[in-house]
Amino acid sequence: MATAVVERIRSADRSSGEKWGLALLILVGACLLAVGAGWLPDGLNFLLLVVIGLALVGLILVAVLGGPDLRRSLAPYGLLKPGSMWLALFYLAPLWTLLRNSLSAKETRFDIQATFSWEFSNYGTAFSDFGPQFGRAFLYAGVATALTILIGYPVAYFIAFRGGRWRNILLGLVVVPFFTSYLIRTIAWSSILADSGPAVSVIETLRLDGFLEGIGIMDDGRLINTATAVIFGLTYNFLPFMILPIYVSLEKIDTRLMDAAQDLYSSASRAFRKVVLPLSIPGVFAGTLLTFIPAAGDFVNAQFLGNPNTTMIGNSIQDQFLRQNNYPVASAMAFVLMAIITVLVLIYSKFFGTEDLA
Amino acid sequence: MSNNFPDTQITRTPMSRRQLLARAGALGAAGLSLPAILAACGGGDSGGSGGGGSSLYVENWPLYIDPSEDGAIGTAERFMQATGIDLTYTEAFNDNLEYFAKIQPLLGTGKTIDPDIIVPTQWMAGRLRDLEWLDKLPLDQVPNAKNIEDVFKNPPSDPTGEYSLPWQAGTAGIAYNLAATGRELKSVSDLFDPEFKGRIGMLTEMRDTIGLLLLGLGVNPSSIKSFDEAAGAFEQLEKAKSDGQIRAFTGNDYTDDLASGNFAACVGWSGDVLQLSADNPDIRFIVPEEGGTLWWDTMVMPKGAKNRDAAAKWMDFVYDPVQAAQLTVWVQYQSPVKGVRDEVAKIDPALADNPLVFPDEDTRKRLFPFAALDTDTEAEFEEAFSRITGA
Repeated sequence: MATAVVERIRSADRSSGEKWGLALLILVGACLLAVGAGWLPDGLNFLLLVVIGLALVGLILVAVLGGPDLRRSLAPYGLLKPGSMWLALFYLAPLWTLLRNSLSAKETRFDIQATFSWEFSNYGTAFSDFGPQFGRAFLYAGVATALTILIGYPVAYFIAFRGGRWRNILLGLVVVPFFTSYLIRTIAWSSILADSGPAVSVIETLRLDGFLEGIGIMDDGRLINTATAVIFGLTYNFLPFMILPIYVSLEKIDTRLMDAAQDLYSSASRAFRKVVLPLSIPGVFAGTLLTFIPAAGDFVNAQFLGNPNTTMIGNSIQDQFLRQNNYPVASAMAFVLMAIITVLVLIYSKFFGTEDLA
Repeated sequence: MSNNFPDTQITRTPMSRRQLLARAGALGAAGLSLPAILAACGGGDSGGSGGGGSSLYVENWPLYIDPSEDGAIGTAERFMQATGIDLTYTEAFNDNLEYFAKIQPLLGTGKTIDPDIIVPTQWMAGRLRDLEWLDKLPLDQVPNAKNIEDVFKNPPSDPTGEYSLPWQAGTAGIAYNLAATGRELKSVSDLFDPEFKGRIGMLTEMRDTIGLLLLGLGVNPSSIKSFDEAAGAFEQLEKAKSDGQIRAFTGNDYTDDLASGNFAACVGWSGDVLQLSADNPDIRFIVPEEGGTLWWDTMVMPKGAKNRDAAAKWMDFVYDPVQAAQLTVWVQYQSPVKGVRDEVAKIDPALADNPLVFPDEDTRKRLFPFAALDTDTEAEFEEAFSRITGA
């Protein structure tokens, strides 16, 4: 019996290896998803873990016993396994729970578990009650992303092409702020931008306050607790995420290309536009994603630097989840946020392309 | 009233909570307060009277107890010396709603939580009692419970008084920075003075903010029953927020904004402002002429708490006026314990005469606790409030 099985495994061909590899991958992923999402009663969860374990052991046995053809066809699925298991347990399962929550309703206010009831009105509430917060989240994140490109590109360019032997130190300086907590850095800005703080007094000494008020940067002579401060905070906090990918894409550019362009009578600015910029677009694209996506969901900057009229959707989601205990609506809001970001990113990638993402 | 715990030594160089805050700030770590200090002092010393070997876990708000330092022995440490009980005292209680969200999955499904005593604000204690998540206190083992001030007896949140014993009380009123306002304030309507546009702070604690605005509108917050009766205050708040009158809704961090002048005036808590004004005489606290709100945080035992005997000893200990006076001198809130004033007078006579710490009859009459709302009405209030605070 056992020898017959071994014999069959030995003689298995490539295509059946692929079939089995894929089937096991899906099986393991589905089991982990079921465990993570809590589909089954506690006792069965253990059973599923046993199934997963057996599937993995079986896969290894088959790979050991099988011929080189079988092994080669199984290898990609084996290598995919850790990643897909991770994804199933820590991404798909929570996502599914969130989706289910967002369509549930609580029977009484202090229910722990909301009951699933196709409650689409949660999405209605998410839009109708929190429309302005959604709007501000994308507006502020968008402006902040544009600012990080405007500031970050020249910085990255300078480090990559003019940094010389200081390159690594300069790059290190970009990263140094990360050694301090995000929260602390943001709170520090709230004292720098305070009414009696250094920023305002410098502006007043230079008599720029009237001008800044005129163009809407200051409000009643203050910086802190304004939309400006929130956007500023986002820009500051996410700047390194823009500089680093742009730097990486610029650093790869062969400087001889620019020499060649100039040899062909291109002006410096034309060489930049025709050669450097297109080659660095993947860096800008990656930086935009790294900046815009977390910035749109951020709540720390709006909380410490904003006022009650500048709250972003992240603040609302946090409040609904952690203070109001309103999981269904909070989940719907989180889902809408995710959906809008996905759509925006897809549109954006249509124009900039992801093929050679840095 | 005698000191029931004669073998505890009280050697004290009075140090206020404010000084500790300043010190913690200098260290750049407010987190390095009590737990660290206790951990440093902790444990091993189980000498003293009482039956050793038992333990107790109390979870309270931050900076709400006198610590052991500068030669003074903190209440927690004195309690351990007096009773031999191994006390774990943590300060994880930071926000009523957040704490509720944290314990709900456990107590709501019949599981227990670790602390034997927690100290929610009285309305939250009422909610926990309604949900039947509390055990009755072992009051028969707490002889000192008789020392409770009359105003705190049998509140609406605990009509029989069997479930809660107040820890400290305080007042929400108007705090202002004279240097920023340029004039004395006296009324709730001052918060809506256009002159202070963008320089007004309000508390995220709904009952304190709305309660004060209701008083300003001539409505008694102790007697409201429906949302409609309070709608005026919500409209007023909404308008002030949209107009940009309100700079921020804050928790305890309003003290920084007030001290730095970001806020000209705000809704604040008596104890905090008392300590701030010691450093900066321009910072004032008033109970507005229309009245202020009275709140208190109250000790309760979550359902299934294990160490009932030790918990009774703790409550008895902190309801001893001599011990309670030590708390009052440090936290500078109102003590719910009778006889504390005389004890405080021996340590700090000026504090004993402060009407914000020991309200006289006139002041008492102007302080109103927020009504106990039924669940649905409360939900309406909280939703409306969270919509305005914009979070």
